[in-house]
Amino acid sequence: MLFSGIPFLFYFLPVVVGVYFLLPDKLKNAWLLFSSLFFYAWGEPKYVLLMVATIGLFYGCGLAIDRCESKRWKRVWLTVSVAVSLGLLAVFKYADFFVGSFNALTGMGLPLLRLALPIGISFYTFQCLSYTIDVYRGNAAVQRNILSFGAYVSLFPQLIAGPIVRYVDVAKQLENRSHSYEAFTLGLRRFLVGLGKKVLIANQLGQLCDIFRASGEKSVVFYWMYAIAFTLHIYFDFSGYSDMAIGLGRIFGFHFPENFNYPYLSRSVAEFWRRWHISLGSWFRDYVYIPLGGNRVSRGRWIFNILVVWMLTGLWHGAAWNFVVWGLVYAVALLLEKQIPLLQKLPDILRRVYVLLVVILGFVLFNAADLSQAAADMAGLFGIGGVPLITGESVYYLRSYGLLFAAGIVGATPLIKHLAQKVEKTRIGAVLEPIVLIGLLLVCTAYLVDGSFNPFLYFRF
Amino acid sequence: MDKKIRNIGAAVLVVLWAGLAVLSWFAPAREMSVPERRPLAQFPAVNQDTILSGRFMTDFEKFTLDQFPARDAFRTAKSLFHTYVLMQKDNNGIYIADGYAAKQEYPLNPESVDYAAARFNYVYEKYLKDTGSKVYAAVIPDKGYYLAQDSGHLAMDYQAMFARLENQMPWAAHIDLTGALNKDSYYFTDTHWRQEKLLPAAQLLCRGMGMPAPKAEDFTKTEINRPFYGVYYGQAALPMEPETLYILESERLKNCRVYDFETESYNAVYDLQKLAGKDLYEVYLSGPKSLLRMENPDAKTDRELILFRDSFGSAIAPLLVSEYKSVTLVDIRYISSAVLERYIDFSGQDVLFLYSSLVLNNANTIK
Repeated sequence: MLFSGIPFLFYFLPVVVGVYFLLPDKLKNAWLLFSSLFFYAWGEPKYVLLMVATIGLFYGCGLAIDRCESKRWKRVWLTVSVAVSLGLLAVFKYADFFVGSFNALTGMGLPLLRLALPIGISFYTFQCLSYTIDVYRGNAAVQRNILSFGAYVSLFPQLIAGPIVRYVDVAKQLENRSHSYEAFTLGLRRFLVGLGKKVLIANQLGQLCDIFRASGEKSVVFYWMYAIAFTLHIYFDFSGYSDMAIGLGRIFGFHFPENFNYPYLSRSVAEFWRRWHISLGSWFRDYVYIPLGGNRVSRGRWIFNILVVWMLTGLWHGAAWNFVVWGLVYAVALLLEKQIPLLQKLPDILRRVYVLLVVILGFVLFNAADLSQAAADMAGLFGIGGVPLITGESVYYLRSYGLLFAAGIVGATPLIKHLAQKVEKTRIGAVLEPIVLIGLLLVCTAYLVDGSFNPFLYFRF
Repeated sequence: MDKKIRNIGAAVLVVLWAGLAVLSWFAPAREMSVPERRPLAQFPAVNQDTILSGRFMTDFEKFTLDQFPARDAFRTAKSLFHTYVLMQKDNNGIYIADGYAAKQEYPLNPESVDYAAARFNYVYEKYLKDTGSKVYAAVIPDKGYYLAQDSGHLAMDYQAMFARLENQMPWAAHIDLTGALNKDSYYFTDTHWRQEKLLPAAQLLCRGMGMPAPKAEDFTKTEINRPFYGVYYGQAALPMEPETLYILESERLKNCRVYDFETESYNAVYDLQKLAGKDLYEVYLSGPKSLLRMENPDAKTDRELILFRDSFGSAIAPLLVSEYKSVTLVDIRYISSAVLERYIDFSGQDVLFLYSSLVLNNANTIK
């Protein structure tokens, strides 16, 4: 079930919210667990069992880690939770990638498993891992109530596309959280802003990307339009989803971490990753990079650590070589930034242009079906291979999508947020805000009813 | 005070949201969408198989989209926002230019044209080659031919389509209709052409086939007293005025009988019963039919015409009757070209392949 879908907005959500506020506090987590499993089962009727098994596994391992006296046995149970969950991830997400790569390398013909990817498996596996690791490290208290733990793992607002909420961040809220009309309306506002980003900008630019792919009249201009459209599309798609998740969390009394902070304004690649998918970046930092030794090791080991973390970051996004290369591109960029201090001394504008180029070209690589298509796209961007500079089709779509590009570019900066903050303190703001939100709800509903383009990119991770 | 206003606003939002939700749950399901001319999805079957396969969920989503309260108003709101706020030049591939709603048929699909030509060649080789038939072909340009360039929209390369077809049908005499039509020849809200504007095209075809051309004074223009909303009206979902449909009547056409091979019955050229249906354009020769034979008892010759056609053929066929003793209309989208000999005795009749560029560019329905 998509947040930006009629079944969610007008069937599932009103019932879940309505019943939630009617129930006494002690039943709220059970209701959230039930609703979340229903939400998951709606999209994955069979894989809901995998979700339940994952909940059981991590709940049991958490208890075992807590109860064991010896460090050794604690480590055993931690290893069990890590091995089994990564094993499941390997089977469902990476098996065919590994087998296919092995076949390509050796010329053998091992059969592919062709398993459907359970939606959100990368997100909830990482959340669960944060739980057992933090319990093992003593950073989090064990959760003895399986309903509360189940609610944490399966919580539908962030279940399938993040943000990756660590157990330690919501442990207290699972037991005791407050609800208020103000928090409810703030949550609603955040949700609708996210819905607008998704439906009105991301979906429309996504359509342009599809048009580009289907076009037989590509040009250099069209390649760049595609590259920029996809860069904006993925930002509004994913940050819109995160806004909706955070807003829903607020409605139910949770405070989820922010996941985006205007990443396209970054002046370095390192800064970009502090602003983009923040919960994933910090997860890899705390659970992979630092345990590997971080940067407090020899130079060679540090380079190795960086390469490993970014190769894994790439693989987390998808089981294909273009994702691995995409991750490694960032590793190289980060290493260069550390090794060439001159980069930090360039004027801000040049640094921003450099980051944007890395990000845009990176997303071209990211969105390619495979490495050969990525190479063809890169060649097209620079007019290699006889691609014309511009065609009538490019001009048409440039004119048709010009306003959306402008809206996307402005929307990727804090300009609108600052403007809204100024206006909201005034009487006009008090009147305008609900009008804008009602307008957003109606226009987004209109787009959804018309049944236009509406997939969420991050569901595939 | 500001907080109070904000709280009231939020309450209105919640009530509106809840109201739409309640209506979604409890409003009775509708059967048909009149503007879109299609049946609406109904509540899907619930059983173990549909749930475990995920089919129930997919069908339920379709149901919720189709049955959403005030769906047509929401679709119109979307189209208006898309067109006038986001300034998109087309909405679901439909654009408005000079008041005409047109489908952006782009780009040219050469494989489709080749496929259509291959099917026509099959018909020629199987039925016509050795019969001495005179074979003609004409392409009906869709209205994008007259609208797209001036309005800055995309259009297929029509000349390339005509040339491609001509090259692959060397056995046919090709008649160029582009000069006999203009944007006024088409409905504002529909894909089709207006019968009352087709005399120049009909004259060109008749002269091309060596028959007397129909004259304007031979016909009486009769207005249909029911508003006509074409297929693009529903697809564009933009506010557009209804149109008036006309039929060109004559004594000759009144005397004609139309034999329907499917129902094995005779009808009139203009099927007035169709005026009660969802598509008024079906008044011309009863709409989509696989095989019809117009019999013209007033013909002064024994010549016969076999017209391979799509839906555009329905409006122009009555104007082509002329002195033909019969006109057989064959729509090989609805009947396989392999079985035509069961119904038609191919024996030297004139043959016209008359297809719209829309069908030729999406020819996978041709059998």
